[in-house]
Amino acid sequence: MKFLAVCSTGLGSSFMVHMNIDKVLKELGITGVEVDHTDLGSVAKGDADTIFVGADLAEATQNLGDVVVLDSIIDLNELRAKVRETAERKGLAIPTAEGN
Amino acid sequence: MLNDYLTEETVLFAENIDGWRTAIDLVTEPLLASGSITPDYKQAMIASIAAGGVYIDLGFGIALAHSRPENGVVTTGLSSLRVTPAVLLNDDPAHPIDLFFCLAATDATGHLDTMRDLATLLTDDDKRGRLLAATTSADALAVIQEIGDSE
Repeated sequence: MKFLAVCSTGLGSSFMVHMNIDKVLKELGITGVEVDHTDLGSVAKGDADTIFVGADLAEATQNLGDVVVLDSIIDLNELRAKVRETAERKGLAIPTAEGN
Repeated sequence: MLNDYLTEETVLFAENIDGWRTAIDLVTEPLLASGSITPDYKQAMIASIAAGGVYIDLGFGIALAHSRPENGVVTTGLSSLRVTPAVLLNDDPAHPIDLFFCLAATDATGHLDTMRDLATLLTDDDKRGRLLAATTSADALAVIQEIGDSE
C-alpha cells in the first residue's frame, strides 16, 4: 500500500503532508503503508494507491485515481479523519479503533 | 533543528505593509543577506504566486513561500514574517495571510528534519496559536525552541 502526497513543487506542502501522514499512521497504529511525496509534474496514475493533495490541486489531479483533497495542509484533525477513512476504504487494519 | 534556521535574524515582524509582494520582499531579505538564496529565487516565488500559485497557503493564515531548488537555492534556509494586519495572497480575498515562512530547500528530501519540525510546529493547535500570537521574535523563538526540546 502506498500513499503519495503531491504538491506543485514537490518539496513544500507535499513534504509536510508526507510527514503528517507518517505521524497519523503511527498514531493509529496502521502498518504496511509506504508514504512519499512528489511534485505534480512527476506523478502518474498508478504511482500510488491513494494520492493526497491540497485543495489547489483538486482539479489537476482528478484523473489520478483515488485522490484525497485536504482543505488545510496543516490541520492534523482533518488529516487524521481522512487517513482513517482512507485506511478503512482500503481495508487496512486500524488497531486503535477509538483513536482520537 | 528548526532553531538552527529560525533565529533572531530570520524571524521577522512587520506592520501595515502594502501587500503580499512586500511580504515576500521582507521575508526573503535575511536569506538573500546570508546567501542562502539568489535574487532569482525570490523572483520565481513572486512569479508563481502572481500566476495564481496560492498553493503556498497552508491554512490557518499561514503561507509557506518556496520554489524549486534549481530556481536559486544555494543552501537550505528558512525565515518567517508575521504581518499585522493580514495581507491577501495574490490579492485574493480567499487567502488572507498572517504569517509567511520562506523555505529554501536544496533538494526534495535533504531538509527532512527541518520539514518534520516545521510540520510538528504548525500542526500543533497550541503551538500554532502561540506562534501566531507572538509579537516579538523572543516570544516566537520560545515556541520554536520547544520543538527541539520535545524530540
